[in-house]
Amino acid sequence: MPRNAWLVSALLSLLAASTAAAATPVVEIEIRDHLFSPQEVVIPANTKVKLLIKNLDPTPEEFESYELNREKVIAGNSKTVIFIGPLPAGEYPFFGEFYPKTAQGKVVVE
Amino acid sequence: MLLSSVILVLQETLEAALLASVLMALSYRLGLRIRWFPVGLCLGALLAWVYAANMGTVSEWFDYVGQEVVNALLQIIIALALVLLSWASFRNHRDVAPGQIRTLALFQWCAVLAITLTITREGAEVLTYLGGVLHQADKLQTVMIGSGIGFSIGISVGFLLFYGLVGLKGKWAAAASLALLALFAGNMLAQAALQFTQADWISSTRAVWDTSAWWREDSITGQLLYALIGYEATPSAAQIVSYITGFLLVLLAAVAGRKMAAND
Repeated sequence: MPRNAWLVSALLSLLAASTAAAATPVVEIEIRDHLFSPQEVVIPANTKVKLLIKNLDPTPEEFESYELNREKVIAGNSKTVIFIGPLPAGEYPFFGEFYPKTAQGKVVVE
Repeated sequence: MLLSSVILVLQETLEAALLASVLMALSYRLGLRIRWFPVGLCLGALLAWVYAANMGTVSEWFDYVGQEVVNALLQIIIALALVLLSWASFRNHRDVAPGQIRTLALFQWCAVLAITLTITREGAEVLTYLGGVLHQADKLQTVMIGSGIGFSIGISVGFLLFYGLVGLKGKWAAAASLALLALFAGNMLAQAALQFTQADWISSTRAVWDTSAWWREDSITGQLLYALIGYEATPSAAQIVSYITGFLLVLLAAVAGRKMAAND
């Protein structure tokens, strides 16, 4: 039945869309000795990305970016998640507000 | 390390100090004593310490976005407290004697709530920062001096605003305090929207405008505007709508209070 086929394909595409949404790309960033590693992460344009930030220092840090409009405290020896995007192409610097001299990095969107 | 600690502590102190001075100016206008302030200060400091001590645990809630959710809830409660406080401030005749203020208790409870939660949020960040430095003997002194400077500047700006508001005459004093209250509530709701976006609880959209070419958020003007009116160079639609909602709710509450006072 064409009607059922339409329904099935609609359901399938919904399912595909929801799995696509669930599979938000994850980008890992580590903090070690008050440095971000990697200091530059490249993400695709117009895509939501999950930043998984692992603070390997015993001291807390605060991820901050005016360009990304993001700010979050990360306790020492812990990990956290920050969602960014979808963003237009460009460079988005971020820094560690607690140790801004060394903790500098940027998100490059292409 | 000195400069960064000055900036960090100044940013956090400024927002709390500005709110405290607006609330104090409103109290002064109503002829109230500011018993709510030491109460809010102590409760806020205590809760900030509890929040900071559990920052790692809170962060893990809701799949690692607990911090965003807690901050957003605090900000929403602060905004609602300011709406009620606005109503309570304007529910009285302009020439009411302090003993006859009807909404005294409501005003004071809202002031305690707003100050407590503002200090909780801002204080937790400062305490987390200082807690991290505590074990680094080489940095401790510099950071304590920097924090002291940042704190002092923040408090001084608060005092300046308070005396500025108190110095204004009649209608202008009320209007200026009300405008600041409305901006602050708008700012809180906009920040809550941003927290929910960061947590991916509301979907992220493109910035509606970009004013970073005029005022960068990390410039001195940008920082001051951020503390005072929640300046954001690249706001999303959700932030703008939330801001306007908070702003209008405070104004409407004041108008409603005024109308009821006129009908007495």
